[in-house]
Amino acid sequence: MIDASTLRPFRWSLLVGALAMCVARGSLALEPAQTADERVEFARDIRPIFANHCNECHGADRSGGLRLTSRRDAFTASDSGEVVIKAGHAKQSILLERITSQDEDAMMPPEGDRLSAKEVALINRWIEQGADWPKDDAEGPTHWAYVTPTRPERPDVDQHDWPVNPIDDFVLAALEEKGLRPSPSADPAVLLRRVYLALTGLPPSPEQVDAFVANPNPEAYEAVVDELLNSPRYGERWARPWLDLARYADSNGFQADQLRESWAYRDWVIEALNKDMPFDQFAIEQLAGDLLPNATIDQKIATGFHRTVTCNVEAGVHPEENRVNQLFDRVNTTGTVFLGTTLECCQCHNHKYDPFTQTEYYRLFAYFNNTPLEVKQKSGVTYDFVGPKMSLPLPEERLSKRKQLSQRLEELKAQRRAAFDQQERDAWERELRQGLKSPPEWTVLAIVAFESTGGEEHEILEDQSVLVSGSLPGTTTYTITATTKQRDIGAFKIEALTHPSLPGMGPGRGDELRTNFILSEVDVREMDGSKRRAVPLHGAQADFSQDRWEVANAIDGNPKTGWAIAPQFGKPHWASFRTAKRVGSGEESTFVFTLEQNYGRGRTLGRVRLSGLVGDPGAAELPEAIAKILRKENDLSDEERRLLDKHFAKSNPRLSAIDAEIQKTTRQLGQLQPATTLVMVEMSEPRETRVLLRGDYLNKGSEVNYGTPGVLHPLEPGLPRNRLGLAKWLVDPANPLLPRVTVNRWWAEFFGQGIVSSLEDFGTKAEPPTHPELLDWLAVEFVDGGWSAKHLHKLIVMSRTFRQSSAFTSKHLKVDPENKLYSRGPRFRMSAEMIRDNALAVSGLLATKMGGEPIMPFQPEGIWRSVGRNAPKWVEERDEDRFRRGIYVVWRRAAPYPSFVNFDAPDRAACVVKRPRTNTPLQALTLLNDPAYVEMALALAERIVNDLPDASVERRAAHGLRLCLAREPRQKEIDALVALHEAERQRLRSDPKLARRIVKGARRGGVSDVTLAGELACWFHVASVLLNLDETITRG
Amino acid sequence: MTDLTNALQALTRRELFQTVGTGIGAAALTSLLQRDAAAESLDSAKADPARRTHFAPKAKSVIYIHLVGAPSHLDLFDHKPELQKRDGELCPDEMFKGKRLAFIRNQPTLLGTPKEKKFTFRRVGESGHAISNLMPNLQEVADEITFINTLHTDQFNHGPAQMYLLSGFERFGRPSIGSWTTYGLGSENENLPGFVVLITGQVLGAGSSAWGSGFLPTVYQGVEFRSQGDPVLFLSNPKGIDTASRRRVLDAINTINQDGLANVGDPEIATRIKQYEMAFRMQSSVPELMDIKSEPLEVHERYGTKPGKTSFANNCLLARRLVERGVRFVQLFDQGWDMHGSVFSRLPVKCGQVDQPIAALIGDLKERGLLDDTLVVWSAEFGRTPMAQGRNGTGKVTKAGRDHHKEAYTVWMAGGGVRRGFSHGATDELGYAVAENPVHVHDLNATILHLLGMDHKRLTFRYQGRDYRLTDVHGDVVHEIIA
Repeated sequence: MIDASTLRPFRWSLLVGALAMCVARGSLALEPAQTADERVEFARDIRPIFANHCNECHGADRSGGLRLTSRRDAFTASDSGEVVIKAGHAKQSILLERITSQDEDAMMPPEGDRLSAKEVALINRWIEQGADWPKDDAEGPTHWAYVTPTRPERPDVDQHDWPVNPIDDFVLAALEEKGLRPSPSADPAVLLRRVYLALTGLPPSPEQVDAFVANPNPEAYEAVVDELLNSPRYGERWARPWLDLARYADSNGFQADQLRESWAYRDWVIEALNKDMPFDQFAIEQLAGDLLPNATIDQKIATGFHRTVTCNVEAGVHPEENRVNQLFDRVNTTGTVFLGTTLECCQCHNHKYDPFTQTEYYRLFAYFNNTPLEVKQKSGVTYDFVGPKMSLPLPEERLSKRKQLSQRLEELKAQRRAAFDQQERDAWERELRQGLKSPPEWTVLAIVAFESTGGEEHEILEDQSVLVSGSLPGTTTYTITATTKQRDIGAFKIEALTHPSLPGMGPGRGDELRTNFILSEVDVREMDGSKRRAVPLHGAQADFSQDRWEVANAIDGNPKTGWAIAPQFGKPHWASFRTAKRVGSGEESTFVFTLEQNYGRGRTLGRVRLSGLVGDPGAAELPEAIAKILRKENDLSDEERRLLDKHFAKSNPRLSAIDAEIQKTTRQLGQLQPATTLVMVEMSEPRETRVLLRGDYLNKGSEVNYGTPGVLHPLEPGLPRNRLGLAKWLVDPANPLLPRVTVNRWWAEFFGQGIVSSLEDFGTKAEPPTHPELLDWLAVEFVDGGWSAKHLHKLIVMSRTFRQSSAFTSKHLKVDPENKLYSRGPRFRMSAEMIRDNALAVSGLLATKMGGEPIMPFQPEGIWRSVGRNAPKWVEERDEDRFRRGIYVVWRRAAPYPSFVNFDAPDRAACVVKRPRTNTPLQALTLLNDPAYVEMALALAERIVNDLPDASVERRAAHGLRLCLAREPRQKEIDALVALHEAERQRLRSDPKLARRIVKGARRGGVSDVTLAGELACWFHVASVLLNLDETITRG
Repeated sequence: MTDLTNALQALTRRELFQTVGTGIGAAALTSLLQRDAAAESLDSAKADPARRTHFAPKAKSVIYIHLVGAPSHLDLFDHKPELQKRDGELCPDEMFKGKRLAFIRNQPTLLGTPKEKKFTFRRVGESGHAISNLMPNLQEVADEITFINTLHTDQFNHGPAQMYLLSGFERFGRPSIGSWTTYGLGSENENLPGFVVLITGQVLGAGSSAWGSGFLPTVYQGVEFRSQGDPVLFLSNPKGIDTASRRRVLDAINTINQDGLANVGDPEIATRIKQYEMAFRMQSSVPELMDIKSEPLEVHERYGTKPGKTSFANNCLLARRLVERGVRFVQLFDQGWDMHGSVFSRLPVKCGQVDQPIAALIGDLKERGLLDDTLVVWSAEFGRTPMAQGRNGTGKVTKAGRDHHKEAYTVWMAGGGVRRGFSHGATDELGYAVAENPVHVHDLNATILHLLGMDHKRLTFRYQGRDYRLTDVHGDVVHEIIA
């Protein structure tokens, strides 16, 4: 990508002086034989020199960055910004410097004969005379993809009765040229399944198959096609490849990888596809919907297309660098999706193969350069995602609920004002001040015994704290026996201390960076002989409590709530609890403390110390900050007063009750906030755009303005000078690339491969099209047909090419193994999402609910490991959401849905045009053992049994095959299933409990009817086979 | 159908030979995860690794230990007495003015390694390279190690720097070094993936991209072997399903798929049948591999391993078991080295976790004769500043830490054809910048590929019309460190 010249910009600038001298001397010494005013002719005098000395590296198929066969290239500034040929100024032209240089690192050509003095002189004079390079000379033929397609003639074919539309003409012509004949039509049931999966991503039901097979004529087929194109399932199926391109995901990517709300954009795509929104409009709204006059909410949602880029909010990130990286992604994705062009190379230098320059890249960049920063320093080293978002309209019923709650909140606030009594407040303060003067004292309890349920080891340190070590169970309960000679204890304190041996110093044990613990429940009992007497606790206080993990949770009797301390990691904390009655006799009393820690993931206490309090607990419980204020004699600041008021309210039952109500209402209101979605927003003041030298955002070159690549169709002068103008330029019917690139991607969705096999690249290094005329015909048909995707899709599935049998013959294997000629119908493994959708459909579990927040179906534990702060949790769906289509499954970039990953789904961190299609053992393990598929297998078993209540094993096996494959099963297939069923029946008979275990294990979400367990367990194995068949996961 | 079957076999064999003929990268087809129906015919090719490499390899496999967050190399491997002497002084202007740092915003003070005994350095081995007493076990195997003191990178945020080091590019989308390696060389074990990832602590910021295959076929991505739950996702049978029952299910699947193959003739079906067989074998080979209980007591004592636990030590032992079984690339990630604060209280704890098992791994590999063709790498996304972050370093007890540092840091390698007991390059007296023999991350990657017998300029993959490489358009092999 980078030629020698770009690798040495440094040296160049150092040598400029010396080189200039060389050149000067050179031109003196090399006074040409011809007279100075004789006109140098490019074609006659100059081009041969280039051809002899330069074009091996700087030719059309160059390895050096510069191309001396292209007038356009030669006159463009080089990668390093220097001028290769400056007309009229030989001395300022790098070309002359290089051919005369004596410096080994700089001279050209680097090997072989140097230019003769005469040749140098000719070039010198040619440049001085204006470097006339006739426009039509030596440009070379334009790459086919950069020429606007025209509709080709339909070719003549011999087998006249075969084609049903022009697609078939082109395909058949190529086949006949190779002496091949098309394959016969596919079996009607196989064809029906193929077209169902191709258009909607879901299989036909057995009834739908029966109806079609009974009458498989072309009209019936067309009626099915029309029905499928109008099905809402169509948009769901076709959104998947588009969202791969749009790198749509529900998280930011990078370290924290927090979730973001952007699903409204995903729903917009589905909706637009279902409506068959013309593709030009589809593109315009996504690229620049916000800039359309009177943009609708939907048009703004559409701009989520370019807000899907990853965003780095890790500590220490530089927001501007992040923004520039996001811009690169937007430019590159635009190039890939709408132009089938890899623009990325031009971030740093002129494109090595394709006719795009670095300046042109930054002209495109300028269109996107007017959006705000998306990362902001929040505090210290914490950075937040702050990119623009838009609230989605709230549904009516939520709106009225919200109004109600707002009213309630106002009432509560009024109540609160009425309930506050200044005198009471002042008396409280006086009493506390008094108490602080003779402060009560905490005394540490002596530890007698420590036990834990998690098998940890422990050590009692000198300060009577217990240091826990050894194994790290997810959850644990400590039982600590301690003694004291204190009398009239009014409160107990539990300290969570730090220690160097704890990960990140503690106080929690589970994690080096987030040293949190969660104390779920505290229970204290006083030993009375052999009896244990409960010591009821109340009035929980702590030096600090994590939001929503208040210390009071530790004595609320709910094992799921608790006290925690994030983000105040790495320092000691304490919690205190008042006893309902004073305890401790003054003789040695023994107390048993039970500390439940149920949260999981080892969020447990590392070092604990217990103390008892004699004296006024009120004063002792004061957080140090409050005590400090109260010790002050002089005037308090407003802030200090506010803190005191707050603490007073907390300790006052009347006020704290109202405050709790206020908090609850505020939270409910918060939950009624409208959902948001990420949108593009233009800043009022456009940014200045400069070329970024070598793609470095701090290294700015010359200023550039909006513009489009010169090799493509011109930018209409009337277009707005913003993203909208760019979008309109992209969908200009004169754009040679957009329609070709788009129909080619669709073709690949139907046939498993593109007419141009490099779907992502139509540049000069692209694979040539297998059927160039067909590609152009489709492209023109697409534009002329009003940019209708459904029109194109219908044409393709109606073609006989698509409807051929996909069976291989020995001839196919010899002549057309990869089906490049389409000598048979398409046959290839389905996408990850389609495999799951299909399995859900055949097992009868599929829920067809559309849209809304992303769903979380079953996935194994430990996939969503935290990769930073605010890690979202996986909350497994228990209702129909569990069984909705894959398009709705939440997409977290650091941890995409694992069974999808095993079937080649990308992480969607960057634009993906073509997913690989691999065949691996991990896929086998997924379909056999992933509990999600196990659950589907059980449902399929149930369906087989229920659909045919009194049928024979053989009939049921055939039914299962028909559900999964659509076609009539073969006897061999039935036999294999029947044999398996019998073997499993034998085994289960010998172990009756086993059936229930299998069924119970497989059933995760739904109801549990285990009466049929024996029967279901046999059929479960059969169903598992069915879901694993090659044909089940293949669109054949 | 015999006609079809014959043609099918001829085709798959021909395809294989064609691709193998093209040399590097063609091992794709022969690698474990993508073996073809007729792959047996390749056994002869498999025995001849030179067919897949550009030149004779020094190393057959790699154990790549990535210390996530970046260890404080200045307190471990790059001893700077001058920095200790000037501890607490404001750092020279040229170390701060006009520089971009991740966290430090005001001119910081210099932070020397404490002079307490546990932090002192000892010159060890033939190279006389100084290793901190925080790594006493590593000191003992110093003679096996080549230190590179002058690695430098272009990125100073974790996620981008991890991707830059591991994929040669600071943003998402490129293949990781492990997937490049398996793409080039394939695997030597039929029953295990060629690229295995083992993790302790949080997953690194780059997420699974750190072992992703980018635009390479997904068969080359790293497979994470987990220490809790199924070692490989979905490896174990559902409840109540035993091996015999699973075998019957597989037989039924294969019978029907065979019938499909006979009727439809798609070679892909033959591959699918193979994959199901391999999945079945993995169900026993992976648990066998992960079960370290079978190792003798002295091995556990040596590594400090405890069966059933998640620990870095266990992962080191697993790494040995993996390369022993022919796994090509084993990558260990260990989280917890990002010490912006309290570096001197936290570093000893982390070192305590890794020192013994790493030294044990090197010694163990050597005794088993595996070290010669196994390259062990200690690496991180960047180094740490000689300047203090947080409170300055003057106080006796300090909570100071070190910020991210991209100008120079230390990594080391052992075995696999690198020089024994060698130290390459030097930083300036304060450990800020390279003084001599800089090694860029692209150079490091080029060198690792070189040791594996691959020319980083020729290990390419065509994507979007461009031949991509791990080293982009850069990288020079550091020949000085090769034995």
